[in-house]
Amino acid sequence: MNSLLDWLDVRTGYKALVHEALNEPIPGGAKWKYVWGSTLTFVFAVQVITGFFLWSAYSPSTLTAWESVYYIQHVMSFGWLVRGIHHFAAQAMMVLLGLHFMQVVIAGAYRAPREVNFWLGLVLLQIVLGLSLTGYLLPWDQKGYYATKVATNIVGVTPVIGPQLQQIAQGGTTYGHHTLTRFFALHAGVLPALLVGFLALHIYVFRRHGITVSEADQKKPIGKFWPDQVLMDAVACLGVLATILFFTVWKGAELTGPADASEAYSAARPEWYFLFLFRFLKFEEVDKLGLVFGALYVPGAIMGVIALMPFIGKWKLGHRFNIAFTFALLAGAAFLTAIALKEDSADKNYQAAVHMAEFEGHRAVELAREFGIPSTGALSLLKEDALIQGPKLFARHCASCHRYNGHNGLDQVPMREVEENGEKKQVEELATAADLGEFGSRNWITKVLTDYHTTFAPLKNSGERGERFLQGEMAEWVKDNAETLKKPENADSLKSLVEFLVAEGGREELQPFDPALVEAGKAIFKSGQLANGSFTSNCADCHTLASVGEGAGPGYPTLTGYAGKVWLTEFIKNPAHDGFYGSERNLMPGFEGKISDKELKLLVDWMVGDYFRKK
Amino acid sequence: MEPSSSLPPDQPTARRNFLAVAGSLVAGAIVSLTPLMAGLAFFLDPVLRKKETFKGGDADGFLPVTTLSELPDDGTPLRFALLADKVDAWNQFKNQSIGTVYLRKFEGNQVIAFNDTCPHLGCKVDYQEASQTFLCPCHASAFKLDGERMNHIPPRNLDTLEVKTDSNGKVWVKYQDFQCGVEKKGAV
Ligand code: FES
Repeated sequence: MNSLLDWLDVRTGYKALVHEALNEPIPGGAKWKYVWGSTLTFVFAVQVITGFFLWSAYSPSTLTAWESVYYIQHVMSFGWLVRGIHHFAAQAMMVLLGLHFMQVVIAGAYRAPREVNFWLGLVLLQIVLGLSLTGYLLPWDQKGYYATKVATNIVGVTPVIGPQLQQIAQGGTTYGHHTLTRFFALHAGVLPALLVGFLALHIYVFRRHGITVSEADQKKPIGKFWPDQVLMDAVACLGVLATILFFTVWKGAELTGPADASEAYSAARPEWYFLFLFRFLKFEEVDKLGLVFGALYVPGAIMGVIALMPFIGKWKLGHRFNIAFTFALLAGAAFLTAIALKEDSADKNYQAAVHMAEFEGHRAVELAREFGIPSTGALSLLKEDALIQGPKLFARHCASCHRYNGHNGLDQVPMREVEENGEKKQVEELATAADLGEFGSRNWITKVLTDYHTTFAPLKNSGERGERFLQGEMAEWVKDNAETLKKPENADSLKSLVEFLVAEGGREELQPFDPALVEAGKAIFKSGQLANGSFTSNCADCHTLASVGEGAGPGYPTLTGYAGKVWLTEFIKNPAHDGFYGSERNLMPGFEGKISDKELKLLVDWMVGDYFRKK
Repeated sequence: MEPSSSLPPDQPTARRNFLAVAGSLVAGAIVSLTPLMAGLAFFLDPVLRKKETFKGGDADGFLPVTTLSELPDDGTPLRFALLADKVDAWNQFKNQSIGTVYLRKFEGNQVIAFNDTCPHLGCKVDYQEASQTFLCPCHASAFKLDGERMNHIPPRNLDTLEVKTDSNGKVWVKYQDFQCGVEKKGAV
């Protein structure tokens, strides 16, 4: 073994190199505070390793990026682990950069003759920021997509060359396949290569000048890099790795729904370490000064001050200023981050949008697992899915009058701005029609039969015509018969009647229907005869059992197929049809021609619960 | 490398030093091997995990191909494409040809099926009407009508596939690909 190593040494001289690398003297001995640079190098190595493997499975195009990341994360062996490490190591790198920077400033390590190395460090910082920015887009999910849009739009406002720069970054005027190929080339090729180059220079220059040692430590005995400092470095790296693994197992790298350019994601936020900048740009005063000011000039000025630290440090109070500046910067960033987080956690609609993106992520994965992804991409799975599209269509077309369990289908409450004593205020927009959260269910029908007034109460918000509904024949009928229906002796009769009406709709999710109850219910519907007493008038007096849409006449909705797919479709198309409310009474707009057949089908399928469910 | 040999020999704290060396080696190994091993395991996914190449067969993996009446009674081979939903990593392509087979029918409605992939190196063999043989255009493998090889270019006979017929006269084939270039027929 030894002779082999000697043979190699004669030909390469590696022993001298290793000796040089390991035997660097450390005045004052090894110290924990010197570990940050090494941990950064380590995390970068982790990124190169995991990045390479991810590269072997990732496919950059708008039809395959999300899909391949889904496959990595949810199907491939250990994909979740490799991607998780890569994802959280990137964030660890930002934290370690901050610590390293603070250590350098506090120790005054930017002072002569180490200025150049300080600047090399700043270049490395920019490259790492670039890596995190380019990496965020690659999964092509809603969060990454919209967060990165903000960044490229900022590039676009750069004076003079902005638009051209933006187009070069995007590979065109809009996001597309080439945005991904370019970002990927930057993320996996150009930026890592630059980082390796500058890191080598950084370490080379660092070795030339050695560690910056405080005066007190200079008197202490000299330590060695190997093994004293290496041990500390290795233990620190172990700690970093453990933290990364902890988050990987605990949280896992996130993948929200596939990017959808047609569906704005109203909760777009950058990664947490850019959140302070995002919040800074939101200040009205900053906004007034223009995006260029907030997004380019201010950060540019800050970077300028940092770059000048070696010179500032020469002045009498310069070093103190540098430290104070660094801390002020960190405190400011922490403060802004805290505000941003606090505002977001108080913003219900923001929460709803985040929740939605996460839900779409889960759903897309669920559908991809069950059906495989068509060549048109995972987004088309979501576009054809009633569970995802239904609530959106409801929010768009129905929520201006109806609610769905109190919200607009998307967990948001429609708001409206009002002026009160000269002050603008957001107030909840009142519903003017029934809440459809339980529409067609056993509970719904029971409510209509026994508590018509509460069920349709929102109608009073729609003025005189709504009032007429609340005092119409059905309202009167319920007023006269609710007491009878609610009698304990009639519990079974009510159940039967409800079962009959539910069975009429034939909805899959409400099955099985009890045939005996249905029969009994039908008899009650026709005769009005209950276990105890009878109706003032039979259901069948007004509601004939006919084919859908052909009722007894205007104002007496057909109950055949009630709340089922066909019924609901016809109803939404034209509620003023004589088989439903009739043109005289109807308040609801007909949607025939206003909504495509495909959309209508998705909406109805969602309302009746007809979509894929995981067993 | 022998880092410890580069230390001054008369180090008074040799024991402490040994612990430091051992500690850094162990910690160093853990931190460098964790991402590397995870990545390697990930890279080996194709051999670690059994993957479907198509979907849509019956419970035993048989696909419907044709009907008995479509096949000539004299045992003349006919080529058929098998249609199923092709699975390629995350993508599923509906109703694609996932492979081709030769079917031959004999008396009593006995059917045999050959995978038409040449067991030599994977070209497709062609049935020659005139000589009643299967010929491979790539390196001149030749097979008799019953699949037996006629020269020693291919390492084995043509690969047969499992066939079944149902009461409606439908012919079903269990499609499989086999490793090329080896004597033993082994599904891949
Ligand atoms: S592949 Fe058929 S002879 Fe070589």
